[in-house]
Amino acid sequence: MNPFFFGTRQRRLFGVYSPARASAAGSGSKAVLLCPPWGQEYLRAHRAMKQLATLLNQAGVHVLRFDYHGTGDSAGEMLDASLAGWQGDIETAVDELKDTTDAARVGLVGLRLGATLAAGVAARRRKDVDSLVLWDPVVSGEGYLKELLAEAPPRAAEKGGGHEVMGFAMSDAMAAELRGLALPPAELPARTLVLRSQAAGEPAASPGEAVGAWPVERVDGQPAWLEDHHSGAGAVPVKVLQRIAQWWS
Amino acid sequence: MVNEQVLLMGPRKALVGIVTPAADGAAASPDRPAVMVLNSGIIHRVGANRMTVQLCRQLSQQGVDAVRFDLSGIGDSEPRDDGLGLLEASLADIKEALDTLESARGFRRFVLVGLCSGADHAVVYAGRDPRVVGLVLLDPSIPHTPRYYLNHYARRATRLSSWMNIARGRHPLWQALGQRMGGAGHAEAPEPEPRADLNSPEAKAFLSNAYAAAHRSGNRFLAVLTGEREDSHNYREQLIDAFPDVPFGDRLQLEYHEDTDHTFTAEVNRERVIGGIVGWVAAGAV
Repeated sequence: MNPFFFGTRQRRLFGVYSPARASAAGSGSKAVLLCPPWGQEYLRAHRAMKQLATLLNQAGVHVLRFDYHGTGDSAGEMLDASLAGWQGDIETAVDELKDTTDAARVGLVGLRLGATLAAGVAARRRKDVDSLVLWDPVVSGEGYLKELLAEAPPRAAEKGGGHEVMGFAMSDAMAAELRGLALPPAELPARTLVLRSQAAGEPAASPGEAVGAWPVERVDGQPAWLEDHHSGAGAVPVKVLQRIAQWWS
Repeated sequence: MVNEQVLLMGPRKALVGIVTPAADGAAASPDRPAVMVLNSGIIHRVGANRMTVQLCRQLSQQGVDAVRFDLSGIGDSEPRDDGLGLLEASLADIKEALDTLESARGFRRFVLVGLCSGADHAVVYAGRDPRVVGLVLLDPSIPHTPRYYLNHYARRATRLSSWMNIARGRHPLWQALGQRMGGAGHAEAPEPEPRADLNSPEAKAFLSNAYAAAHRSGNRFLAVLTGEREDSHNYREQLIDAFPDVPFGDRLQLEYHEDTDHTFTAEVNRERVIGGIVGWVAAGAV
């Protein structure tokens, strides 16, 4: 496992690269970039994302996970962040992963907002991205924003405005970007998996549940991005992670 | 803009740290302590609401070197391979991280900063290592005192839910330590076990001895208690009253942040506590 900074001087990104386990069948021929969620969901999902990287490595896949500009350990502050910038960060990370592994094409796994951003990058980087997992994706940016802002106090204009979303600043510009964000289901790679965590007690899916033409596969497990046991961190949904790793092996 | 750096610490380089060098570019000096921030529960090193990143960067702007890192089995750090129990593993991790910072970066004096379980780790470790000269303790575990109960019962009349907290006698982030990730294939989080009773004579003696040892070795303390942890503490001087054998004197700066939640979620509260820590360290309190 190699934690490091990459990207430009103006936009240094923190990433953790972990190589495929050499003994796995077909080891090293595939490379996957993990695209995290945002805000509290990012913090909670960190454990599951790390564990997913480990399972993918065991399945013979190289993995890079990273933090968007203004989040996690990457440079920048939240008020400097934008969704367009984060999609640019995903592209930077795709290039970094290709460069590190010599892979001709890479796959993306996105969780929540990370899935929606990854779908956009997959659509415009078809030459470089050949497969995609949308894990509990944010299907409608507008609906997601409505949930985020439901109890979010406004920030003072002299401090840049926007809202405080459960401990994280969100600018009005980013809110406007979110409002216009949607999955582009028609333009996704031919090899795409849409996966949804099926929490205990949650009603079963209605028949034909789909995102565009893509059927939604439900897998038992607590959502990794929700707080578990008041610990500040999320659950590690083993079956969900195993399904994603198995899809790639 | 300060360039943060990855530093792998410990003999196995298994502890992942991020160094935020002092912005003035000055080389490490034996007289100037570096600040090391510990994990809160199982939240990885960026901290609740990313507050640890903000703290490290603001310390850097004031000419202070800062380090955040993950204890073994938390965040990006690998589990230990020596079978130590949770507390001993954490204390060993802190020692190994400080050893690396001393040998690789030349730091010889340290301030430890911790929230919740991080505060407890900091104070328990401090008395064992003379390199630690200052402690910033945010919502540390404090046994109840007679005045705590008086306050509590007075408030109970208007707030019944707090009674439930006492009945539970649980400390969420501390419990969460039991959920540290082991190797691959970790199962979904089990129901947490009830933690040891903080108000048992053994626990009180353990903590009192830890504070006394940290004090004896010359540490200065900045302690911040938040209003949300009413189940744990409910007045500013509880830290002093709970440990009557520790002569804190003017080596303790004690604050009670009334309308503040445990993880400083509101920006105004986060700015207040970060500003307070930066001011305390940069003013040469240690």
